[in-house]
Amino acid sequence: MMRETRIRRLPMALSALVALALAILPLPTVLESFRPDFLVLVVFYWCIESPRAGGLGLAFASGLALDVIQGVVLGQHALALTLMGAWATHLRLRIRVFSVLSQCLTIFALLAGYQFVLFWVDGATGNPVTNFSRWLAPVIGALLWPALVSTLSRVHER
Amino acid sequence: MVAFRSTDTSGRTTGLLLRCVLYCLLALGLIIVDKRYDHLGRIRRLLSVVAYPVQIAVASPFEGWDWFKDSVTTRDALRADKTKLEAELRLAQFRLQRYEALEAESQRLRALRDSTAGVTDRFVIGDVMDVDLDAFRERVLVNKGAGDGVFVGQAVLDAGGVFGQVARVGQLTSEVILVSDAAHAIPVQINRNGLRTIAVGTGDMHILKLPYLPTSADIVAGDLLVTSGLGGGFPAGYPVGTVAEVKRDPAQSLADIDVKPAAALDRSRELLFVWLKPHDAEPPAQSDKPAQSDKPGPAAKPAPKPSAIKPTTTAAAAP
Repeated sequence: MMRETRIRRLPMALSALVALALAILPLPTVLESFRPDFLVLVVFYWCIESPRAGGLGLAFASGLALDVIQGVVLGQHALALTLMGAWATHLRLRIRVFSVLSQCLTIFALLAGYQFVLFWVDGATGNPVTNFSRWLAPVIGALLWPALVSTLSRVHER
Repeated sequence: MVAFRSTDTSGRTTGLLLRCVLYCLLALGLIIVDKRYDHLGRIRRLLSVVAYPVQIAVASPFEGWDWFKDSVTTRDALRADKTKLEAELRLAQFRLQRYEALEAESQRLRALRDSTAGVTDRFVIGDVMDVDLDAFRERVLVNKGAGDGVFVGQAVLDAGGVFGQVARVGQLTSEVILVSDAAHAIPVQINRNGLRTIAVGTGDMHILKLPYLPTSADIVAGDLLVTSGLGGGFPAGYPVGTVAEVKRDPAQSLADIDVKPAAALDRSRELLFVWLKPHDAEPPAQSDKPAQSDKPGPAAKPAPKPSAIKPTTTAAAAP
């Protein structure tokens, strides 16, 4: 068991790093608000795939990395990602047997929850973003979910 | 198609709730400490150094492409560029001819009026890094940080005018908040008649708003707005934007005024970080004021030689 766990950490860290790079990749201003939360999707994947390898720790660390890189209040993304990561871990047995459509809907709910926590912390710390386009990212993220799972599980298989 | 590989489905993840609660408490604690107190500055600075490689890795392909494009430019294009730049330089030098004299005169008048409006002391140039920060906030990452003496609240200019101010400082990088950010406001003055107000960002890079002017205010489309220097954050007299449209609704008490920013907020690659001259450089002029104001004061020191790189501000009009 221990050995298995150790082997899994490398693809986990690598995929998280790639997702982090995708999160700050410069896009044209028009497309910027359509950018899905890649890192969040990757964290959800690992929370569902191998919860014992430390999905929650990964969630917290990734959230902190997003906080630092985006320059928002330290702990904002960490809080949102931890909460939703824990929820994904809790739902993982159900998500595995869901059809593709139900999986996407569940992931949409999780992503919307993530955005809501961010929205709430934004408001509580005094710089609210009342832009409607922030709710686009969950939709696009949910649509991307099947592609992400097949990619990551293929990488994981090797 | 959508299949998970692992067989790690059996059993419970022990203590999920406990770990979740612990992490959440930690995150909440971070949020509160970061918001209320200033202790996390050093930690954030260190973390930003860790994030630097990722940012570099993302930015470098674009920089490489720019470098490649630069290095394959043809000779004709370079020559055309050179001609254009020479023409621009000639024009700029022509405009600068009286700059030193005017600057000295303005300093002298300011000293007479006991004005403490900030005067620029020195500049450092930083490059915008090709990295996207938050999509909903107008911010850019610049490759100058605390190591170069950059500080929070510092004024940032580009070739056209006021660009923004420093919002956060890392060891190697800093975040600049643009004048167009919805959370940014800057004290301005209409150049034509000296009317002071505040320009706030809208979240749209092409529009600033002047929300605090009455419908009767003397302002027309085309007016130039410059920094007023009030508040001490920005040096006085730099262009912020031009008034694009003034909508006066008689039913409202305040006018709806759109301003087009002077800085190229979406295109600038090189930014100037500005240090203001500390005010205590001026006291001699201020203390001598009564004696100086009734007789023609001794002429200001002759201006030093004009320097191409650093627009030297002449010493305050000290006798």
